[in-house]
Amino acid sequence: MCATKVLFSRCFAVSKLNTPILSYIQQNSMSVYPNYYIEPIYRKETQQELVKTGEISKYSHIPTKATLNGQTCSDSYDPVIALFTNYVMRQGLKALAREQMDKCFENIKRLQLEKYHKCTTEEEKLKIELDPKKVFHEAINNSKPLLQLTGVKRGGVRYQVPMPITDRRSEFIAMNWLVDAGKEKDRKVRFAMQLARELVDASNNTGKVVKRKQDLHRQCEANKAFAHYRWS
Amino acid sequence: MIRKINLLLEPLKYLKIQQNFEARLISTTVNLFNESTAERPATSVANIKSKNTLNKAMKSYLERAQQHDEFMKTEKHQFEIGKRHLANMMGENPETFTQDDIDNAIEYLFPSGLYDKRARPLMKPPEEVFPQRKAAEFDETGRPYHFLFYTGRPNLYQVLHDTVEKINELNNFEDTMIRKNLQPDPNLALELSGSQWLDKNTLEQKLVEPVSDGEYSNFLKAMDRLCSLPYSHKAKDFIMEYRKPLMSNSEAFDVIKPQIGPDGRQFVTTYECRRKRAIGNVTIRFPGTGKISINGQDINYFKGIQQREQLLFPLIFTNMQRKVDIEAEVQDGGESGQAGAIRYGIAWGLRSFIDQEYIENMRLAGLLTPDFRIRERKKPGQKGARKKFTWKKR
Repeated sequence: MCATKVLFSRCFAVSKLNTPILSYIQQNSMSVYPNYYIEPIYRKETQQELVKTGEISKYSHIPTKATLNGQTCSDSYDPVIALFTNYVMRQGLKALAREQMDKCFENIKRLQLEKYHKCTTEEEKLKIELDPKKVFHEAINNSKPLLQLTGVKRGGVRYQVPMPITDRRSEFIAMNWLVDAGKEKDRKVRFAMQLARELVDASNNTGKVVKRKQDLHRQCEANKAFAHYRWS
Repeated sequence: MIRKINLLLEPLKYLKIQQNFEARLISTTVNLFNESTAERPATSVANIKSKNTLNKAMKSYLERAQQHDEFMKTEKHQFEIGKRHLANMMGENPETFTQDDIDNAIEYLFPSGLYDKRARPLMKPPEEVFPQRKAAEFDETGRPYHFLFYTGRPNLYQVLHDTVEKINELNNFEDTMIRKNLQPDPNLALELSGSQWLDKNTLEQKLVEPVSDGEYSNFLKAMDRLCSLPYSHKAKDFIMEYRKPLMSNSEAFDVIKPQIGPDGRQFVTTYECRRKRAIGNVTIRFPGTGKISINGQDINYFKGIQQREQLLFPLIFTNMQRKVDIEAEVQDGGESGQAGAIRYGIAWGLRSFIDQEYIENMRLAGLLTPDFRIRERKKPGQKGARKKFTWKKR
């Protein structure tokens, strides 16, 4: 027994010395997936588009990451709404955030229907959008800023310099403003109701959020003279 | 090209040479001592000359080779003895004890919880454990065989040299094609999306040479240059030698064969579906009507809508909602973990009842990848996994 132990220890010592036997695994910082794993294409429509363009053969030999918890291929799923729900969410209470969003859409529908039935002429009725999802997308589109002010320190003075922003960033700002506007309310009014009103207003290019966007644009216009600090 | 010293024949050959050489050396020295005072005969001079023909580099190489050979011999011997002991300990026949048996025995006798598999105890034949060595790169007069010997890394520079040769060849070919007014065929274009370049360690093992970071990046640049040429598909064999597939063969999905249940329906069970801390077994019965039972309850087992969506995701994706019955037993973990575990189980089991095309679509949708991500532990001296305590200097 002792002899075998000695033998084993010898073999182990040997194994420590040498170069790795197992093939080298490509590490991707702290991620569990190696860096060549692609994001999953979980929407049926996107996959069909890829089939049409013939691009799908590119992905046939590349492994994919697992789909996330919140992503599905169901018809009711909308990636933008899912993103907005995540911005509404506080402290990881996703179920609550979803509930609020559902109520908000219901409220939008009610508000629009109310307006619709108050209309007297056919023309006015046609102008009112009854699909809450379309209202939502329109509201976000309308509240997206084009520019942003960033502090730049030159000669000890901090200048507010207008900078162009990416689409993703402007979308984030618009959504954040909308959530903020939903929270700015009377104690007796519910968040879902206030958010619905703000969304309807923004979809009509009026309301707090659109005003905030226009203010920012005005500020950027005023600080046009500092724009060169962006590169000099 | 690369001759390996571990081959049985070559070391013996060298040994023979060396033995002869030693014998000659001894004889010459004896001769010298004996006849130092007397006239030197012509034969001894000839012997000295033949001694001089053996280069110093060759001499030291032969010594090293012999040392290595002896070392390997003893290692092999000890490995054989160890193997027999191990077989006896496990109560099996030492003659038929294979490497798999050794691995199992080691795992049984030295259970190790170490995370990295390379750090766990192992017992492998010495040929696998010790890195391979290069054979002599020069002849007995010290003249190198390889024209790139003095670069220090002949094999690596040979590859780079070949690459440049291929590039020139392809450029010439392109010129002739342009003269003929011909375009490269887009259908033949080199498809590299499913593979990647060998990483540095593998390249080092392949070339039996150390490769520095700079040299490795040079290698990548040269190879990328070759691949970017319009007619690179003509050098496909050469390029593919230095690439490895992204998906290993073990990852190829073998579809489980459905069994026949007592009610005459087909069924497939996926065991140990995991997500976060949850673990469960999922059985799919075909044909069915879309019944779902989770721990004896229906889909209302999950309170959240997101969890129910997750459960139905693979079914909706493959249009099998009303065609199969699902039975799942799941424990531990939270709601979303359990839902994720069942989702994986359903997707994995559904492969037995759908077309190959759908399986590929499911793979692309990330349904067939097990989600191994788990909560990162909290670290001492920090507030959370990454977050630090607030700290002010003063």
